[in-house]
Amino acid sequence: MTQNSTQPLLKLTNVCKTFGTTDVLTDINLEVNPGEVLCLLGDNGAGKSTLIKILSGFHEPTSGVMEIDGTPVNFKSPRDASEHGIATVHQFGGTFPLMTIGRSFFVGAEPTRGWGPFKRLDNRFAGEVAVREMQSLGITRVTEGSRLVGGLSGGERQALAIGRAVYFGANVLILDEPTAALGVKEAAHVLRIVMQARQKGVAVILVTHNVTHAMTVGDHFAVLIHGALAADFRKGERTREEITDLMAGGEAMAELEAELEAYQAAHHGHVPDPVELERLAQSKSND
Amino acid sequence: MVAVSVGALITVSACSSSSDKTANGDTKAASSGKGPAIFVVGGKADDPFWSRVKRGADDAAKVVKSGGGSVTWLAPKNYDNLGPDAAKLIQTAMSQGADGVVGPDWVPEAEDAAFKQVVSGKKPLVIYNAGGIDAANSLGALNYFGSDEATAGKAGGEFFGKDGEKNVLCVNTLPGAANTEARCKGIADGIGENGGKSSQLPLPSSKFGDPTAVAQAIKAALLKDSSIDGVVTIGTGDANAAASAIEQGGLADKVKLGTFDLDDTQLGRIQSGKQLFAIDQQPYMQGYLAVSALYAYIQWGIELPQKPILTGPAIISKDNVETAVAGSKAGVR
Amino acid sequence: MTVQATQQAVSKGGGRSRRTDAPATLSNLIRRPESGSLIATIAIFIFFAIFGGAKFTAQSGTATWLNPAAELGIIAIPVGLLMIAGELDLSVGSVLAASSMTLAIVSGHWGQPIIVGIVVALGLGLVTGFLNGLIVTRTQVPSFVVTLATNFGLAGLALGLTRAITGSTSVALTSESWAKHLFGSYVSGKFEVAIFWWIGVIVVVGWILHVSKYGNWIFAVGGDLVSARATGIPTDRVKIALFMGTAFGASLVGVIQTILYNSAQVANGQAFIFNSIIAVVIGGVLLTGGYGSVFGVIFGTLTFAIVGQGIYYTGWNPDWASLFLGVLLLLAVLMNNTFRRMALSYGPRKKKD
Repeated sequence: MTQNSTQPLLKLTNVCKTFGTTDVLTDINLEVNPGEVLCLLGDNGAGKSTLIKILSGFHEPTSGVMEIDGTPVNFKSPRDASEHGIATVHQFGGTFPLMTIGRSFFVGAEPTRGWGPFKRLDNRFAGEVAVREMQSLGITRVTEGSRLVGGLSGGERQALAIGRAVYFGANVLILDEPTAALGVKEAAHVLRIVMQARQKGVAVILVTHNVTHAMTVGDHFAVLIHGALAADFRKGERTREEITDLMAGGEAMAELEAELEAYQAAHHGHVPDPVELERLAQSKSND
Repeated sequence: MVAVSVGALITVSACSSSSDKTANGDTKAASSGKGPAIFVVGGKADDPFWSRVKRGADDAAKVVKSGGGSVTWLAPKNYDNLGPDAAKLIQTAMSQGADGVVGPDWVPEAEDAAFKQVVSGKKPLVIYNAGGIDAANSLGALNYFGSDEATAGKAGGEFFGKDGEKNVLCVNTLPGAANTEARCKGIADGIGENGGKSSQLPLPSSKFGDPTAVAQAIKAALLKDSSIDGVVTIGTGDANAAASAIEQGGLADKVKLGTFDLDDTQLGRIQSGKQLFAIDQQPYMQGYLAVSALYAYIQWGIELPQKPILTGPAIISKDNVETAVAGSKAGVR
Repeated sequence: MTVQATQQAVSKGGGRSRRTDAPATLSNLIRRPESGSLIATIAIFIFFAIFGGAKFTAQSGTATWLNPAAELGIIAIPVGLLMIAGELDLSVGSVLAASSMTLAIVSGHWGQPIIVGIVVALGLGLVTGFLNGLIVTRTQVPSFVVTLATNFGLAGLALGLTRAITGSTSVALTSESWAKHLFGSYVSGKFEVAIFWWIGVIVVVGWILHVSKYGNWIFAVGGDLVSARATGIPTDRVKIALFMGTAFGASLVGVIQTILYNSAQVANGQAFIFNSIIAVVIGGVLLTGGYGSVFGVIFGTLTFAIVGQGIYYTGWNPDWASLFLGVLLLLAVLMNNTFRRMALSYGPRKKKD
């Protein structure tokens, strides 16, 4: 699957971000290649959302270089990022529940017909394109662009948002926890859509907690811990357990296991009762 | 000497005699220092009627100020919660150290407790505009200045009756308020004694201040009951709406218009014969006399023997409209 | 027909969907935001046609509810647009009064040509709307509070200035005949020309919301402000323009009423604040934004006006008029909620039989 193209689509070199005196990201070096899925892993507060906000133009990095196709870029606004082909899809699809599928698909880039001040929004075209793009991502249930987005399932909304991004020429698709709020079936569907987007040559950055989902679709993995890149490896280079351990949660888990062993040793092999276990876990996660 | 004894009589009839003596004591204390701080509770100053009351109070205030005193006008923001709001304004006056209070007894149930605080606080009280002499007496106030709504309504009703109207519609855009209800009842009484009758058209608050909605409701009522040959409104804004309703219904020949209160537009219609009359309670005098009388009482213990002092009704019709126009140009009518 | 379309679309692998705005089928109809309010208008009209009799349905009776509906509608339609974008305007009452008073002072008290008074009055509305929009978008203070403050502030300003300038609170105005014809006359002695202004507002705003691309921006701003901004929509400018629209509508009604009744009263107009919101809500616009239609607001306005005036044709005791309005408001909102739920339910499985 890996394309060994000469230069990455998106490249970050020593990117840092500080808010006031707090270092949120330190020396992030990352490469994202077309037709590849990069899984961005990390615990809450590890800096994942700050990183994607930098990529999508909501924040500017404090220092470091961001390059697209080898050219340094500087995003002043989300608009800048989307003009460079970077699209972000949020957890709930970032769409408008009470708008029609067609209208919602083209928000901010409405197709019009007619001339001068009498330009009309081309609803028919919008609806047709939206439905076609969703169907090409495997959503066959949706056949009418005049339906409301709120009537779609979570996965279908993701498909709508992803379809929109791809349609408007996104080279880099950032998916922020797309599966977090979904059931097992829906999540599988979204992962299939991710694979389809990858096949179209899009670089996908998938932010997730879920190691299973990451392992299923990821080509390339980056783990953030406390704002630093703790690991950067390709598919097959680490086992699931290693990845789990690597995530901040894993780190805490390892400590918790050590505590448990110590507890057992001290308590003649007895396992702590649930209340005690909870307390141990709590004290770890508060570190 | 006479004035003092009457003052004692009045206050005794409403209050305890001990409070009467201390009230007089306060009177002297106030007159020995600076002039008194008089607080006037009144209607919204953007109401054309109340702007004339305030004009009278302002003119009287010139005298108060020349004596070193002050006159403060307190008004509610709106009429949605009139009774409690007015009660709060009375309490505000007291907490700001009023030496005397002038106030209308719009909603006795809500306001009387606050008025009693004024009297029990040994400050002289004058009731004006609404409530009548009965309220003034029961509260222990010095006097009542204003028109009596029933008397004014009755005068209007009689005027309709003598003009030959048989069925008069009384449009009430503030249904439930004591004074507007009394106006409509007065109309009914007045015309009843002169061979006619009157019914009320109460309009909800969703129409207040929207002349088109008021006009169309009146037109609907006129079309519904073709025996109606007179319309009377409780205020001038509504009278403009009623005039438009009569015109739109094509009833100008048949339906005569009268209104409580007065402004330039009413005067113009009376002059041109499109309106029968306007009942003027001469609001300027209410503000002017109430403040003057309270000031004279606080400062020098002067009290008037005549109670109540009625400032109206004066019926303005084509017979006397020209003098009224002159008064209006001066901003007092 | 729906079944066919579905199968066709699937068999061709997508790409064919039915025209988005096609009013063809019942299922399409119930998915529109104005369906509930249309039913309400028809039901209310039939109700009063039965109990109000021939006088209610006659020309003169029609004018009874159409005239107030036109004036309310000129304000309610831009208010509806603003509410679709997720904001409220509680300043329309004072804007109406202030514009009305401005016209009466400039052209009545000072004797300037009436065109000057009209331009200044409408300009006052636009400036107030601009300030409302600017404060809301810059400070993030909810528009409920900002426009409430504007309403009080402007009411005080209008009262203070009017009394200082004219010494009164009601100012008379005699209009030039062209202005009287254009703003304050009756067609066939019954119908206010305001009805034509209302139609004009409907056409312009209907175009903006449903036909032009700006309508899509308005829905997006009301549906999800952050996402709308992320797609590059100038959300602040959209909102400011909409606030200017509501204030302009209020000013226009102020001008119309002043010329119609030949005078301006400082206290007028406050009833329009809640009446416009009621009309918009009956019309199926979601109070939190993102959903609604111009047709819905038209029906909501008509329903409100018919209920407000119809009772005077029934011969019933008009003491109960407000009760009708309260019950209607609740029923209308419940019905609109039902229709919105129906629009949101996407049920092709049911159609497969």
